[in-house]
Amino acid sequence: MNKTMLKIVAFGVAVIGFYMYITVYVTGLSGTGGGESAGGVTPEAGEQIFWGDGQCSTCHKIGSSGSATRGPDQEGLAERAEERAKTLGLSSGLDYLVESIVDPDKYVVEGYDKIMPKVYDPPIMLSREKILAVIAYLQTLGGEPDIDSIMKFKDKIPEASKKKVKPWVSPMEVTAEEGEQVFYDESLDVTCGKCHMVKGRGTKVGPELTGIGAIQTPEYFVESILNPSAVIVKGYETVFVITVDGIPYNGLIKSDTEEELTLIVEESGTMEEVVIPKDEIEAMKKQEVSIMPGNISELLSVRQFYAVIEFLRSLK
Amino acid sequence: MNISKLLSKLVKQKSIFFILVVFALGAVFSLSWQGGALRSAVHAEEAGVELPEFEGEGKSSGEQQTAEGVAEGEVPPEEEEEGELEPVQYRTFFGLDSRVVVWIVSELHLMFAAFVLGVPIFAVIVEIVGFKGGDIKYDKMAKEFTKLLSAAFATTASLGGLLAFCLFGLYPEFMGHLTNVFAPTMYVYALLFFGEAFTLYGYYYSWDILKGTSVKKWSHISLGVLLNLFGTALMFLTNSWATYMMSPAGVSMKTGRLLSLSEAFYNELWMPVNIHRLIANVCFGGFIVGAYAAVKFLGSKTKEERAHYDWMGYVGNFIGIGALIPLPFAGYWLGREVYSASPVMGNIMMGGAFSWTFIIQAILIGMLFIGANYYLWLGMGRIKGSERYTGYIKYLNVIIFMCFAVWLTPHNLPLSGEERAMIGEQYHPFSKYFGVMAAKNAVVNLIILSTFFSFLIYRRSNKGETVRFSEQGKAGKIGILSGLGFCLLMLISYAISLNFVELDAQIKGYVKPLIFALYIQSLAVCFAAFLTFKDKGKLAQFILFGVTACIAVLYFWFYGFQVMQKANLVLRYLSVTQVSIVMSCLIMNAVIDIFVFRKAKVVGDIVWGKMPVRSQYALLLLCIVIVILMGLMGFIRSGLRMDWHVYGLLQDTSQWTYTPTLSFMGRVVGLIVALFLGLVSFVFWLANLGEKKVKTEAEA
Repeated sequence: MNKTMLKIVAFGVAVIGFYMYITVYVTGLSGTGGGESAGGVTPEAGEQIFWGDGQCSTCHKIGSSGSATRGPDQEGLAERAEERAKTLGLSSGLDYLVESIVDPDKYVVEGYDKIMPKVYDPPIMLSREKILAVIAYLQTLGGEPDIDSIMKFKDKIPEASKKKVKPWVSPMEVTAEEGEQVFYDESLDVTCGKCHMVKGRGTKVGPELTGIGAIQTPEYFVESILNPSAVIVKGYETVFVITVDGIPYNGLIKSDTEEELTLIVEESGTMEEVVIPKDEIEAMKKQEVSIMPGNISELLSVRQFYAVIEFLRSLK
Repeated sequence: MNISKLLSKLVKQKSIFFILVVFALGAVFSLSWQGGALRSAVHAEEAGVELPEFEGEGKSSGEQQTAEGVAEGEVPPEEEEEGELEPVQYRTFFGLDSRVVVWIVSELHLMFAAFVLGVPIFAVIVEIVGFKGGDIKYDKMAKEFTKLLSAAFATTASLGGLLAFCLFGLYPEFMGHLTNVFAPTMYVYALLFFGEAFTLYGYYYSWDILKGTSVKKWSHISLGVLLNLFGTALMFLTNSWATYMMSPAGVSMKTGRLLSLSEAFYNELWMPVNIHRLIANVCFGGFIVGAYAAVKFLGSKTKEERAHYDWMGYVGNFIGIGALIPLPFAGYWLGREVYSASPVMGNIMMGGAFSWTFIIQAILIGMLFIGANYYLWLGMGRIKGSERYTGYIKYLNVIIFMCFAVWLTPHNLPLSGEERAMIGEQYHPFSKYFGVMAAKNAVVNLIILSTFFSFLIYRRSNKGETVRFSEQGKAGKIGILSGLGFCLLMLISYAISLNFVELDAQIKGYVKPLIFALYIQSLAVCFAAFLTFKDKGKLAQFILFGVTACIAVLYFWFYGFQVMQKANLVLRYLSVTQVSIVMSCLIMNAVIDIFVFRKAKVVGDIVWGKMPVRSQYALLLLCIVIVILMGLMGFIRSGLRMDWHVYGLLQDTSQWTYTPTLSFMGRVVGLIVALFLGLVSFVFWLANLGEKKVKTEAEA
């Protein structure tokens, strides 16, 4: 290699080296240091979340802290919240703060756009506790924090998804048509159509599944089939009944009159009606167990299982 | 030449390539290892700051299962069976950091792709200029670069294949999703790829066959245009995949199920990225050509060679700067659309984790503008008659450096508690005015105007007495009126549209000065055209520059502060107004310049080859900086998604989900740039091997 080429290579290395030095220098300049972190529903924790995980500071500043102007300046917010609560007919300033976070588009401060995201939804996904902490911090901006009152609003704040969000990818090539056949196939050890109805076909022992694909995720279907008791649809809870003769029954209430109780119980994989006179009932208790068989993974092949999932997904 | 001879030659003469390869492999392993160390550090830090929350928070489902299995001491057979059904989410390649592997391969592929897409645009433009002007050297240069393309194309394709294998192998779940959404377009991609390959080789190999007659030459140029159409379509298609990851559309955000392929394809960021990349590729191609010419110039033995490569460097730099000037506008549009697509992502970009990367970007863009101006000023030394204008250079220098300083000033300087107490607020009382967007928009427009001014004085360096405008014939009149019509259409249509923006009455009042400014600029453009018709073109240019600088730089700098404090929503309209006014000045002044100096008396020739050596290093600097800038912007665009493969839809649950530090990013991008430049040099050397052999035989 001649001298000129060496010079050119050296020049290139110097420019790249300069760039790398700049990145190291800027890393040092932008470093935040570290330090102890606060936790729980406290104004201290809320302040950290406001300037950190919650990304609130990328839109809001607080007086001379921060530089964002996309959202309103939050200095003196607690006082303003009380005034706005009165104007909007809300119970308190705290109520206003909660509403602003839970449903940010409901009231938008004049001069600003509807750009605030729901912080419990992706991509921010703040947990309920973190949101409560931020509210506690916001209360300190022109007021005093009241943790007890804040905790009363706990249930108003939606819980962020604990699961990692990812789209459904079926592990094998199956079709909805194949799943529909399995769903109604009475030659199998288990037949979904005997308890569920889809578009008028089947039996309505369990919840109607018409249109279920539009409102539930594939993960929910997988869970409901493999672990039916994980989530029980309202109105389909089972009851445990024991008669004066000591015979136990576990089933769904089909009808409940003054004279008798009609239950639907599972007998060797099939659903049967049992009528019990009221005077023969020794005890009755609501159960947190689904009547749906819990061993479907043993009754269907893997292919049949995923075909049913695909069929349920198609019900929109 | 057989392989052993070739290798021996490589070892003897180009040992630098082997050194580079060894260095690169070592660096990949080192970065991968450091990435692991960093990851551990980040996780440890996260563990310190995370509030007590969910059970098993921060772990992927796979990790949780493993942890539970270990705690129980064994894995039940049922779980093993279920484990077999689990689709694979991530794999590793010999324990390397998968993200760094994909990062390096994809960036190298993108850089080669930019070269392969940018240079044909350059080649066809140069071929047309040569054909229309009857200058054979343009034709030769276009052919020379098309020859380089053939070798670079194979490298691009190889890197593309490697990237696809890496992605499907290391990120199977993510690629499964992307395939589910975009499968039909992938077949179209393959067809377009064939189209590009055939037209590229056809364009090169038919060069000598399709010459001689006008019809033949136009057929050849048409083939070149077709090559560019295929290339552009290819880029647009793959852009849709990349932008879908940032602004997913056409899919159910709950299940990821495809609802509309067209919506997924034409997502919110698709067109802004297309336009930005298209312009950037031309700029990239121009500066690469400039660097190639610089290397050749520095190695030239004869006067003729030096003259040829000096001229080639000038043309490359001219096209590079030409594309560089509108690039900030396209970048601004892209940034604005990122905000529109996701305010959270927008804030991460400009106000959050990535805001410091824009300080680095500002340094690099500053280097580009300063380098380009420096080259132009040195270039005036080879033009007799340029002495008349050299006095302006020192003022331009001061303006550009001052603008650069303002651009670099961060709004929020990191201050200690003591410093903050002394100042009394978080911002520096003086520098805070330079850190905000209003100031930065003003200075970037001033840099663009100054660079354009540099170019104009370069153009007129050897021009003397001009002819009367009436002697320019119909072409002059049509040219000026077309330029005027275009500018008026742009300015007035935007002014009218501003009347209909939906804002509160109180805030809308702040839009009125923008409309007024657009009408003033329209009048200034009309007046400039009028003066040109009256043979006062130079005065027209001066007035137009003055009015533009007063409105777009001075007034909007001041008004920008007002708007930021009182009517933030108006800021976006202010920026577009600013851009429109500056663009109208550039277009109108360029058209006036062409027709004022057409047929002007030439006071001295351009002595091609009479350039100092440092001018060639300026060209090399421009090339290296644009490659670094491309690497940096690639990191920003991709990194903005934070811990999402597809933003808000498909989460990255791999162990590499954290955002790396800027210094780590700097090392990776530095390595990529070194690898790319090494590979490009190697490809150029390979492409010229045959030529060298012919030369040696001829000499013998």
